[in-house]
Amino acid sequence: MTEHTLRFFGEELNQLKAEVARMGGLAEAQVADAVEAVSRRDVPLAQAVIERDVKLDALQRDIERKVMRLIALRQPVAHDLRRAVAAMKLTWSLERVGDLAKNIAKRTLVVSEAEPITPLTRSIERMGRLVEVRLKDALDAYTAGDLDHAMNVWANDEEVDEHYNSLFRELLTYMMSDPRMIGACAHLLFIGKNLERIGDHATLIAEMLHYELKGEVSGERPKWSGVDGGVSAAEG
Amino acid sequence: MPDFAPPPPPPTRLRDEVAAAFAGRSPLVGALCGAGLVLALAAVGHADMAVAGVAAGALALFGGLLSRGRPALVHAPGAERGEPAARPAPADPFEFALESLPDPVLIVTGGEVDDLASRRIGFANAAARELLRIGREGGLLVSALRRPEVLEAVDEALFGRVETEVAFESGGAQPRWQRLRARPLPGPPPTALVVLHDETELRRNERTRADFLANASHELRTPLASLSGFIETLRGHARDDPAARERFLGIMAVQADRMARLIDDLLSLSRIELNEHVPPSGRVDLALAVADVLDALAPQVAESGAKVEVKAPPPGQAVIAGERDQVVQVAQNLVDNALKYSPPGGLVTVEVLTDLDREAAAAARPGPRALAEGGGRMSLAAPDWGDAERYALLRVSDQGPGIDREHLPRLAERFYRVEGQKSGARSGTGLGLAIVKHVVNRHRGGLTVESAPGRGAAFSVYFPAAPARKLETVRELAPDPRLETKLS
Ligand SMILES: Nc1ncnc2c1ncn2[C@@H]1O[C@H](COP(=O)(O)OP(=O)(O)OP(=O)(O)O)[C@@H](O)[C@H]1O
Ligand SMILES: [Mg+2]
Repeated sequence: MTEHTLRFFGEELNQLKAEVARMGGLAEAQVADAVEAVSRRDVPLAQAVIERDVKLDALQRDIERKVMRLIALRQPVAHDLRRAVAAMKLTWSLERVGDLAKNIAKRTLVVSEAEPITPLTRSIERMGRLVEVRLKDALDAYTAGDLDHAMNVWANDEEVDEHYNSLFRELLTYMMSDPRMIGACAHLLFIGKNLERIGDHATLIAEMLHYELKGEVSGERPKWSGVDGGVSAAEG
Repeated sequence: MPDFAPPPPPPTRLRDEVAAAFAGRSPLVGALCGAGLVLALAAVGHADMAVAGVAAGALALFGGLLSRGRPALVHAPGAERGEPAARPAPADPFEFALESLPDPVLIVTGGEVDDLASRRIGFANAAARELLRIGREGGLLVSALRRPEVLEAVDEALFGRVETEVAFESGGAQPRWQRLRARPLPGPPPTALVVLHDETELRRNERTRADFLANASHELRTPLASLSGFIETLRGHARDDPAARERFLGIMAVQADRMARLIDDLLSLSRIELNEHVPPSGRVDLALAVADVLDALAPQVAESGAKVEVKAPPPGQAVIAGERDQVVQVAQNLVDNALKYSPPGGLVTVEVLTDLDREAAAAARPGPRALAEGGGRMSLAAPDWGDAERYALLRVSDQGPGIDREHLPRLAERFYRVEGQKSGARSGTGLGLAIVKHVVNRHRGGLTVESAPGRGAAFSVYFPAAPARKLETVRELAPDPRLETKLS
């Protein structure tokens, strides 16, 4: 390859990274707004989240197409190939994060019609904030290429589970004490589950940076709740 | 006459280019303008004026650049993150002015509209570099700011050539409200000035005031209702019954006492909240603070019948950056809880550890309590990534009933009390840990709880170590084996 194509190629990879970062920003905003919508019972905001999801899908397809073209035309190897692959995998995760946020927003529409259950929404909000921080940290680490930061995200993923388990028990208590609440509580439970899975995607993003820089995944994951398998009812 | 008039350096970097451009025209005028601009900006606190001033400065800077017929702001490939502040002061007065503004300022350049990677940071002042953790020049815009509404606002200024403004909440463990203003600067290439202004305090003040009123009225209603009830009774059928009167007056005194404590706690909580985003000044020796707290709590120690064991380094080693009164309050609330929930004869351990990195302070690995049946460990507050290098930690453990893991996430919520728990004679207000959490947040530290039912609780707070003054001893956070065997 000539000097010129090499430089050009570096720019293309930069561009890819920039677009993934933008997509990350959008996904983050979707999560933040979805959490805000549940905790404030903000129906218009929930609707906005639902409508904006198509943007994320479009970005995802666009980036994926660019990665495919880049791999086909330039046939990158080693680190460059990993950068391209990591970018594509990241967009898959981000697209899923967007879907989960959209699902939270949809459930918010239903939950907002029921009686407010303040302690529960507060627990959801707290869990949501934690997940937002993790997602932000993972994306910060990715955009800055900061492996230490990424590994910190990667190593600390039980905390979200703790929150989820605690929420789960709290919800059970409510459902047992008043069967009329079961409907709303079930939605809140799935919202919690969705947040937990967004947290898993943050872990995955951190892992992708490790793969990009080191050429391998980061070994035994501390725990794994299955990002892609799992409860299909949580999606609908 | 300010002494930052530039000597003529070889024009290798952007800064030098600018300086050379000014020197070529008139060094004296340049320096005077710069000084004037700095003074004007310092004198005028109003954000809009500051933006106008900055825009004027940036225009001059760019005028200088463009008059040399050079393409402005080329990408500097070596630009690193978190560049050291140890650079020599910029020689150009306008750049100096931008550099020393307290608000984050960016100059952004763009290329093609649909090439996201062409939007680059041409210049980031010190405040921007610190806030966004970026280098001085050359970074991708979207690596620094990726919120969709922010990117849109900057694009409007770059390509739509209009001035835009957007308010947003930054994420992270310590979210902040920012207002971003973007205004076009003359190109080509398309260039925009971006100024951020922190509005966290403003918004927080509004919210705190509303919260305070809501909390206060809600929590004061119960004891107040009980007082009114007893007054009613004393006026009615208990009027001529001295024994009942004595008893009721006793209860009323307790209720009044509780109200007074509540008001104290609420006031102190709202004061701390108001200041939450003002970094504390001062140094506190954690070991000395703990000693003071234990002296002050001697009566409670005696009353509870618990034994207190202190493990702390000698004075001077666990010095943190903090406000003494607040740090003392933290230690006091934690020790107070440990005593309150300790069985008679139980052991309360107060440990101070120094010179830990963030990971060790947050102790990612759970101890035996967390691993026990029904046990858990949870971080209730944590610093943002990269906030500080070294931390000192205070851990208070007890052998009381412990806390079921399902309650852990809510412990630091105002007025949250675990139901059905015996807390001895003194029933709490449920504000103690809320206060601890807010103080810790203000100090950019962390709060972790670890507990299992029946196996006691351990609360840890950690604070950034005070800068300078060497710490001689490095101590490990290895859990003390003696303590652990006692507990199991
Ligand atoms: N060491 C401990 N052991 C067991 N439970 C605890 C411990 N510390 C706190 N808790 C639980 O957490 C709750 C909140 O604690 P917090 O200090 O905020 O309030 P409080 O002690 O009830 O009242 P106060 O405002 O007077 O401190 C307590 O009510 C108690 O249920
Ligand atoms: Mg207390």
